[in-house]
Amino acid sequence: MTLDLGGPGVACSSMRVRRFEAGELFGEEQARTESHLVVCARCQTTQRELVRERALLARDLPFETLAAGVAERLARPVPRRRFAGIAGLALAAGVAAAVAIPQLLRPTIDDGNGAGFRVKGGVELTVYARGGAVGQPLSADEPVPAGAPLRIGLAPGGHGYAAVALLDADGPAILYAGAVQPGVLPGAFEWTGDGDGTLVAVFADQPIDAGALLARLARDGPRAAAPGGRAELVIRPLRRGAR
Amino acid sequence: MTRFEVISGGRAGAVSGPPAAAGGRGAGLLEELYRRHAAAVFARCRYLLREDEAARDAAQDVFVRALRSERELREAASPTAFLLRVATNHCLNLLRASRAAWKEEVARLARERTERHVEPDARELVRALLGAAGTEEQEVAVLYFVDELTQAEIAEATGRSLPTVRKRLRDFLAAARGALREAFPDMNLPDPEELP
Repeated sequence: MTLDLGGPGVACSSMRVRRFEAGELFGEEQARTESHLVVCARCQTTQRELVRERALLARDLPFETLAAGVAERLARPVPRRRFAGIAGLALAAGVAAAVAIPQLLRPTIDDGNGAGFRVKGGVELTVYARGGAVGQPLSADEPVPAGAPLRIGLAPGGHGYAAVALLDADGPAILYAGAVQPGVLPGAFEWTGDGDGTLVAVFADQPIDAGALLARLARDGPRAAAPGGRAELVIRPLRRGAR
Repeated sequence: MTRFEVISGGRAGAVSGPPAAAGGRGAGLLEELYRRHAAAVFARCRYLLREDEAARDAAQDVFVRALRSERELREAASPTAFLLRVATNHCLNLLRASRAAWKEEVARLARERTERHVEPDARELVRALLGAAGTEEQEVAVLYFVDELTQAEIAEATGRSLPTVRKRLRDFLAAARGALREAFPDMNLPDPEELP
């Protein structure tokens, strides 16, 4: 007697069913798989397994649990690579915030109150802080309340990518680098340390090399942030409030 | 000196007046990955590790790896296949530390067959037999018997040649045959030359 270990069938593959369910099949392959699923008991069993898997995930590993674990791992220092450690921190902040807030975010229209400091183009950077005026953006000359959680709002003006960095007495640090849409970046931060600082946002049509940006900022300051091409810059001073 | 401290679940105000669209790399991507792929990743971790707590930890490790390999993930022809491969290899690495356990698992399946007349479940058997095989054979076996990819599809997914995939599958079956000889003396395994 031969033991059945499974394996692909003539037209059956659990991976194909998974890809179909994940929306990864297109055109003829999608149509073929859809038709096959109607008549194939084996692949229908796979489909039912996927339903069970989703139920088990919701029960045993909800998004909040997964995101918290991922944030905690990302926040662990990455040895011997300073930049990777900083980027990890920014990424971890985004993930940690996502645990609690995604459903709380509400779209609104920018009120144009001048909180962002625009150099050129339709791009903007806005700083939001709790403390003082709750839920209000900080105007350009308003100090950052001591210990206030800060969040960064970006209007990318049609650009697909952005990077945000902070420069202060301790040097530059990347807060965010990646794809961008209009809105608030998913991370809250407390600005510790001493002295005033500057936030720099770079908007571009291509992914921004955060390591190169960090090097330019360290060497030549905020005005050297733009990588060239059609990139646009927003430079926003940060002043500390009384402790 | 740390100038920024992460505030878990932090937000700027009680009522988030400002604009929205959580376009951040980590948060947005993680939510999307969770929605589309976490069930499969968690199921794979649970299948290979057989412990809920270990599977939860492993799934989180897999998503960390995914976020850190964002470009690779986005360039992958199939994010599902990419993530399942990461999950499989991560769990197989974890299992390597406890290779001896597979013998007990094979013995358990044999006992159930003898005493309770329960034929072994194909995937349980594959899982038990993974421990008898080498590293590369293990991955190919999971892709073939669990993900049900053809040998040609495995070659494409792993970047190996088709003859190499064929050899890995043959080696897995040879190792499995040796492992089963004692526990299932009357049973054969499929002829590797006849597998699609």
